[in-house]
Amino acid sequence: MTMRVLYHLARADFLERIRRYSFLLTLAFAAGLAYATYSGQISLQLADYRGVYNSAWVGSMMTLVSGAFITLAGFYIVKNCIQRDAQTRVGLVLATTPMSKSLYTLGKAISNFAVLAAMVSVLAVAAVILQLVRGEGGSLEPGKLLAPFVWVALPAILVTAAVAVLFETLPVLRGGVGNVIYLFAWGTCLGVSGVTGANDYLGFGFFMHRMVGALKLIDPSYNGSFALQAGPTVHATKTFLWNGVDWTPQAILSRLQWVAIAIGIAWLSALFFHRFDPAREGWRRKRAAAPRPEPAIASGMPGNGAAAVQLSPLSRSARAGGFSRLVLAELRLMLKGQRWWWYTIAAGLFVASLVTPDVQARQAAAGFAWIWPVLIWSKMGARESRYATEPLVFSCARVLDRQLPAAWAAGVVVAMLTGGGLGLRLLVSGDYTGLAAWVAGALFVPTFALALGVWSGSSKLFEAMYTLWWYAGPMNHAPGLDFMGMAPVRFGAVGYLLAAGVLFAGAYFGRRAKLGYA
Amino acid sequence: MLNLVIDRVGKQYGGKVWALRNFSLELRPGVLGLLGPNGAGKTTLMNIIATITRATEGSVTWNGADLKREPDAVRAVLGYLPQDFGVYPNLNAVEFLEYFAAVKGLDGASARRRIEELLNLVNLTDVRKRPLGGYSGGMKQRIGIAQALLNDPQLLIVDEPTAGLDPEERVRFRNLLSDLSGDRIVILSTHIVSDVEATATEIALISAGTLVTHAPPEALLREAEGRVWEWVIPSAGLNDARQRYLISSTARRSDGVHVRLLAEDAPGGAVPVAATLEDAYLHCLATHRAGRPEIHAV
Repeated sequence: MTMRVLYHLARADFLERIRRYSFLLTLAFAAGLAYATYSGQISLQLADYRGVYNSAWVGSMMTLVSGAFITLAGFYIVKNCIQRDAQTRVGLVLATTPMSKSLYTLGKAISNFAVLAAMVSVLAVAAVILQLVRGEGGSLEPGKLLAPFVWVALPAILVTAAVAVLFETLPVLRGGVGNVIYLFAWGTCLGVSGVTGANDYLGFGFFMHRMVGALKLIDPSYNGSFALQAGPTVHATKTFLWNGVDWTPQAILSRLQWVAIAIGIAWLSALFFHRFDPAREGWRRKRAAAPRPEPAIASGMPGNGAAAVQLSPLSRSARAGGFSRLVLAELRLMLKGQRWWWYTIAAGLFVASLVTPDVQARQAAAGFAWIWPVLIWSKMGARESRYATEPLVFSCARVLDRQLPAAWAAGVVVAMLTGGGLGLRLLVSGDYTGLAAWVAGALFVPTFALALGVWSGSSKLFEAMYTLWWYAGPMNHAPGLDFMGMAPVRFGAVGYLLAAGVLFAGAYFGRRAKLGYA
Repeated sequence: MLNLVIDRVGKQYGGKVWALRNFSLELRPGVLGLLGPNGAGKTTLMNIIATITRATEGSVTWNGADLKREPDAVRAVLGYLPQDFGVYPNLNAVEFLEYFAAVKGLDGASARRRIEELLNLVNLTDVRKRPLGGYSGGMKQRIGIAQALLNDPQLLIVDEPTAGLDPEERVRFRNLLSDLSGDRIVILSTHIVSDVEATATEIALISAGTLVTHAPPEALLREAEGRVWEWVIPSAGLNDARQRYLISSTARRSDGVHVRLLAEDAPGGAVPVAATLEDAYLHCLATHRAGRPEIHAV
């Protein structure tokens, strides 16, 4: 009986997700990762070595790609299953059934896992194609190719899936703070696993130590470097033969421990799960949603409704409200609800990126200044869908040529204000090339958000892709991906301006298609 | 004179199901009550007129402007209250209305004046600074009504507007609709026949995506007149009566069950009673389903 409930909980949630348009975009994102790996934009290199493209190497490399990208972006994609049940009110119905809290959180973790597994499957299929197309590693060996996915990628995404549920059940981690904390926790695990092998749910240390050991046997002068790189890089000049992991019981157990840990996390989540009790949904929400008495019929107004309607007619000139008024209204809509500490940190990052003398610290502050508003940007283009205001907004006149550009302009204002410290510094220091790159970035980021929001109808895709892009680009200076222009080799303002133009056109036509009318 | 013409409109979903077919109607200022069973196509029709969705076939024109080519012709003068809509939970009532005033292109001073009046009208002045996330269902419905009236619309479309309102607010809203209807077209869709009875100057009855009747309430009532009966029967006979007659209501009293039914000929012992709009609605639907001719008095 319990297994049946668990199955249907996970199944219904999974079906609800995969029947949304945004799921296709999620798979497209996975396919994009696969293509980037195929084309060499993402590559695994050990100094100037790479492995011969045999089944073991291709399977391991793709598993590492999923460990690096899907466990990060995927977290943001799946971290909304409990929220969705609350929004659709299905949760209220579930709460009245005998279903236990632990069964619910476990079911949600399985559903999250299934979504992430679909993304990993795209990479697994791509791995097969990659080996066949490259044709340098002999015949296809399914066992060697798929074993890394099964023993490394799947436990990694299971942990990600369970952590996403845990974050949703804890009020303090449910929103933006949780997203930032996960990013740091993920980065820390990635770093630590490579050095000590601890906290290696991603499997980086698992592969690194084995591959480094194997290469050292072949080339004793090899320096131990191991990097999964994104963006145009200097390609490896030498190859070595990687025969894959020896899947001993000990190796398999070391991965299965993460399955047990994931189940434990999902079970732990049940302790904090509010079971859709409005009184336990977190202090902030509680304040807004606490039931309050409705106002009584106003005094002096007959309760039988006999009062005559007194509405002043609107003159023709009253219907000539300016575009700037709409931009301000969009800006207020974006920023409303942010707490004082959000503004304090944003101001701190502004000042730090303006006055910090140390270049690296200044660049870090500037980088954080443009990840801080990610949850504000991510609602662009998706807000109407998220809050079910589409019929109200889309039945207004000139929604396509006024409201959409106004929402975009408000997003650009947020970018200019939050990242203004760096912009001001570049202006004052006379670094006009850098300033041009910064301006292009300030136009690019909100346009990217708007386009993904309009097309997916959800804020998740932007949150996932942007966080990943931001991590690889501005923070790690991957060439071509640094939209802030802080990398030593600047991709150029023109490229990002063009990209912004194309994305805006995409958002415009996406919204146009949604409206059904021009 | 305002004029909305719906000409042979059809809407197909997914290339299979026709939610609306060959639907024609011409409207002038007044309140049109749109009645019909669940899934009849009422919301689809309103979404087409409100330019939320495009008709698969046929045309809708507003003062001569074809909405397929010029949707903004109607959007500029439209007030729309959908059946299901959301609000921005972090905004309060004033901010929410200010936002929509900006989207609808109203200037600041006019918007502020209008918002004050509307909040007073929908009785939300006392909670104007409270975030909408904390509003009850009825309060959200009232903010939706205010939003629909922001731009002083010439065409007002309201879908189940009294859902979630308490009886007092419902009466107030009915009166509001009647008062507003003088120089504008109001389309009111509802399942609550008494709402239509209180406000509508015309009634359009839809069933299975087609227009059954478009007539003034009086014409519909005349059709049902002489076919409505009250019959007192013992409780044990109720199931049998249900099988044989179209029953519009029942009430258990000390002398038995008082059954209100529609029939061409009175059952033995039944007495004729005055028809209500609900009786007329049931009669029209039954006539339509039986394939008999319908009234087109407008």
